[in-house]
Amino acid sequence: MSIQNLNTFDPFADASKGADDDVQDGLVHIRIQQRNGRKTLTTVQGLSSEYDLKKIVRACKKEFACNGTVIEHPEYGEVLQLQGDQRENICQWLTKAGLAKPDQLKVHGF
Amino acid sequence: MAEDEAIFDPTLKKKKKKKKTTFDIDAALAEGNDGADGSANGPEEGETVAAADQDQNDDTADIDLDFTKQKKKKKKKPFSTDDLDAALRSASPNVSAFGSGKDDDLKSSHQDEETLDDETFNLDFGKLKKKKKKKNLDEIISEADVKSEDKENVDENSISWVGSDRDYTYEELLNRAFEIMRDKNPDMAAGKKQKFVMRPPQVVKIGAKKTSFANFTEICKMLHRQPKHLLDFLLAELGTSGSVDGNSQLIIKGRFQQKQIENVLRRYIKEYVTCHTCRSPDTILQKDTRLFFLQCETCGSRCSVASIKSGFQAVTSKRAAIRAKTA
Repeated sequence: MSIQNLNTFDPFADASKGADDDVQDGLVHIRIQQRNGRKTLTTVQGLSSEYDLKKIVRACKKEFACNGTVIEHPEYGEVLQLQGDQRENICQWLTKAGLAKPDQLKVHGF
Repeated sequence: MAEDEAIFDPTLKKKKKKKKTTFDIDAALAEGNDGADGSANGPEEGETVAAADQDQNDDTADIDLDFTKQKKKKKKKPFSTDDLDAALRSASPNVSAFGSGKDDDLKSSHQDEETLDDETFNLDFGKLKKKKKKKNLDEIISEADVKSEDKENVDENSISWVGSDRDYTYEELLNRAFEIMRDKNPDMAAGKKQKFVMRPPQVVKIGAKKTSFANFTEICKMLHRQPKHLLDFLLAELGTSGSVDGNSQLIIKGRFQQKQIENVLRRYIKEYVTCHTCRSPDTILQKDTRLFFLQCETCGSRCSVASIKSGFQAVTSKRAAIRAKTA
């Protein structure tokens, strides 16, 4: 015999999933780092782990005509790393591909 | 060979792109302004042309203006006709005076009349044009600079429905409400933009690899912030290392231009200096249980601000050197 009123019910169960199927949560930090000379590196941190970063980096490399890798970091998870100043490019590309909304992108650096 | 060329081309393009990105924001702003100016100028020119075409019959011109202006023109139509009548009345005595003074043939007087009429029409069109200009400006630039003109328009608007028995529109009422609000409390944040004047950072290159931020402590004092906090932010944003040296200047590793530092400072001021609610720069930054809170002195609001994190840092120096250091 079970009393229905005593059943546990989590009212926030579907709230934690997100309203629509938006996998990306939290900010995507796009940073730039100076290397020697006028060379720079662009890092993209905070992309959702649901995404296949390897595929993303493959597409980015082709699109921006630059090299890039995925770096596994113990604290920040998988981080995308691209050669050159790709901040504008990656912002446009991420929004165009629908991977992140413009207000989820945070561009750092000068 | 083809591949080589293909490789060479992107590098050239990249360089160009990089150059662009350095003054990208300003250029974009300038472009935006240009665009706005162009759009502001465009319709006016069009109007002038239209007015020139329709010099002879003013009625069609009025109708045309009606279409372009839609409902705002409604109250102007009686005005314009009145103006025209008044102008004609004022013009006719002028013409008669002219004719009597001139002692010429009737034909010439007629011609004079016509020309004068044309002139009056032209004057009328000028008036209309001016009014339209104001409207355009209001629509495009809603800045504090145009406020005086705005006021005039709003006054017109507020008066316009008093005499007539037509319904007032929502926009007119909204303008009226805002106008009253601005009149009652002129130093409100919503009324006008509060300018926050800053001394520009003095950025000097030291050698090939370092940059000096000479008036760093001075700027900290102006912002009423701890130098350490600003230092943390700058270094985290720029992704480099640096320190304050003996004569209170900041030495940053890497090559940076004044414009770039300005950008970062602007972001710092936006996040950590100006109040998020009322945008006043009169704020205090407090640390409370590991979180920074921004307390506004003007409006009394208190909100937490983002903590400074440098985030992921890629390896940019020689790996062998790091290995030598750690080992």
